[in-house]
Amino acid sequence: MIWTGTPKTRRAARFLETRRLLTLVLAGALVWSLTGVDWGGGIIHTGGGSALSEFFLALFPPELSPGFLKLALAASWQTVVHAVAGITLALVLGLALGVAASGSLGNPGRSRLVISVAVRFLLAFMRSIHELVWAVLFVAAFGLSSLAVVLAIAIPYAGILGRIYSELLNDVPQGPLVGLRSSGASPARVLLYGRIPMVLTDMLGYSFYRFECAIRAAAIMSFVGIRGLGYEIQLSLNDLLFSEVWTLLLFLVGLVLLVDYWSTKVRRSLGS
Amino acid sequence: MIGPNTTLREVTMGRGGLTFARASIYGFAVLSVLSWAYILAGGGSGLDDLFSGRAWSNAGNFIRQLLGFDGSGRPAFLEPGRWVDTGKLAYKTLLMSVLAISFAGVGVLFTFLPAARNVSNGELGGRPSAALGALYHALRLVLAVTRAVPELVWAMVIVFFLSPGVLPGAVALGLHNYGIVGKLSAEVVENMDPGPARALRSTGAGNLQMLAYGIIPQAIPQFLTYLLYRWEVVIRTTVVVGFVSAGGLGREFRLSLSFFHYTDVALIIVWYLVLVLAVDLLSAGLRRMVRAE
Repeated sequence: MIWTGTPKTRRAARFLETRRLLTLVLAGALVWSLTGVDWGGGIIHTGGGSALSEFFLALFPPELSPGFLKLALAASWQTVVHAVAGITLALVLGLALGVAASGSLGNPGRSRLVISVAVRFLLAFMRSIHELVWAVLFVAAFGLSSLAVVLAIAIPYAGILGRIYSELLNDVPQGPLVGLRSSGASPARVLLYGRIPMVLTDMLGYSFYRFECAIRAAAIMSFVGIRGLGYEIQLSLNDLLFSEVWTLLLFLVGLVLLVDYWSTKVRRSLGS
Repeated sequence: MIGPNTTLREVTMGRGGLTFARASIYGFAVLSVLSWAYILAGGGSGLDDLFSGRAWSNAGNFIRQLLGFDGSGRPAFLEPGRWVDTGKLAYKTLLMSVLAISFAGVGVLFTFLPAARNVSNGELGGRPSAALGALYHALRLVLAVTRAVPELVWAMVIVFFLSPGVLPGAVALGLHNYGIVGKLSAEVVENMDPGPARALRSTGAGNLQMLAYGIIPQAIPQFLTYLLYRWEVVIRTTVVVGFVSAGGLGREFRLSLSFFHYTDVALIIVWYLVLVLAVDLLSAGLRRMVRAE
């Protein structure tokens, strides 16, 4: 069937085949994943049903005593502090590594290529490991401290930001750069006055989006024993105080949506 | 937007549209200084630890233990049996990630149309109604909440109801990613070129026909691309969700750490990286198939 018809219909036939194959692959993946669950062995805990209804009834009302609200507020602040400190470090690291990975500094040659490939591998390694796994490793190595958490956020996020920055820096129109170079600008000046201004808004927009993700990351850092919203949620869950859990969840959702709104507005005003 | 005529001054100093962004940058800078001051002023910042020899030798010991150089018996990654055992857990983890992204995908497929503003208000055909409007707002709220709560917090709540294993982790991951992919897919419909739909309408197509031929074919490839991108993120997160939901590599990772079986931890990290790499490659291949035209 592929060998008949004009080039155009042949291409259409090939397209249809890719599509059918894709549908098959995706449907197959769905079925395969469903077979992996032990459906017979009681999906819901004994007593899970009543726990579920108890959990939802606890929303009316959530725990709203002034003392608890103060605690929730303090936990939210703790989470924001870790997120902001982590993302700040990630910005600095990501920019430095991103510039190195893009190979836009230094003169063309083998050493520049080697550095850029090596930095790319480093960035890929940094972002392959989830922030919480980094946190577990840092706490195991350095002990429980704010700085362990800040590093655990900063390293994977620098890996992501560095990759995005380097891609942005490489994908600029070449015209202005050629102009700068022909007027005798050094690679550093080409970077500073050519590449960076062209991608600044995209870089800022993406960084703000990552800030939003960092808030969520900081909230779950509690899992390794760092205080914050997640930590308090875990404590309240362990004590089966579901109305407290709801209050904390509302604080978390509010905080994330607030930063989400902020970052969306920044991106919109940047036009990216 | 940056155009060919934008000067550096306009970018850095701002025109009208950039003032909010500029204020935000200053605001973020203040927040950053405050946060660092708070961390460094607080007692347990760990900064002194970072510059003390003891902490670094601790970290060095830790790395030696991970690599099995501390003489505590044969490292796990030299024993083929351990590779097989951990490999089975890696398989479970992969299964969990596929199940999670399937949950998210099926959920989005059923809800992304009513969650798009231009579908609910009848811009793309159909009659606007109070029920559709209410459905739109309800779905947007659900998407915002499922997205705002991190996977791990979902998992902590869900293990209260579901038996431990692959399923609770997949449900937790599925919920969070449903919120993300659902929002992105609804936005795809909102930003869609209305041309094909209008052309269909002008030839007398009914509402269902417009959906089937004008809207869905435009939205599905983008939806699948987002879904596959999220799968790459999900495989990284399955390990973490496994910490609480007792499925796959995550549980073993946590147990090995608490029993100080550090070479097992190293082996798990290797399998984890293999999974991440494999999923990245698979997803890239599938995304190419989605785009094939």
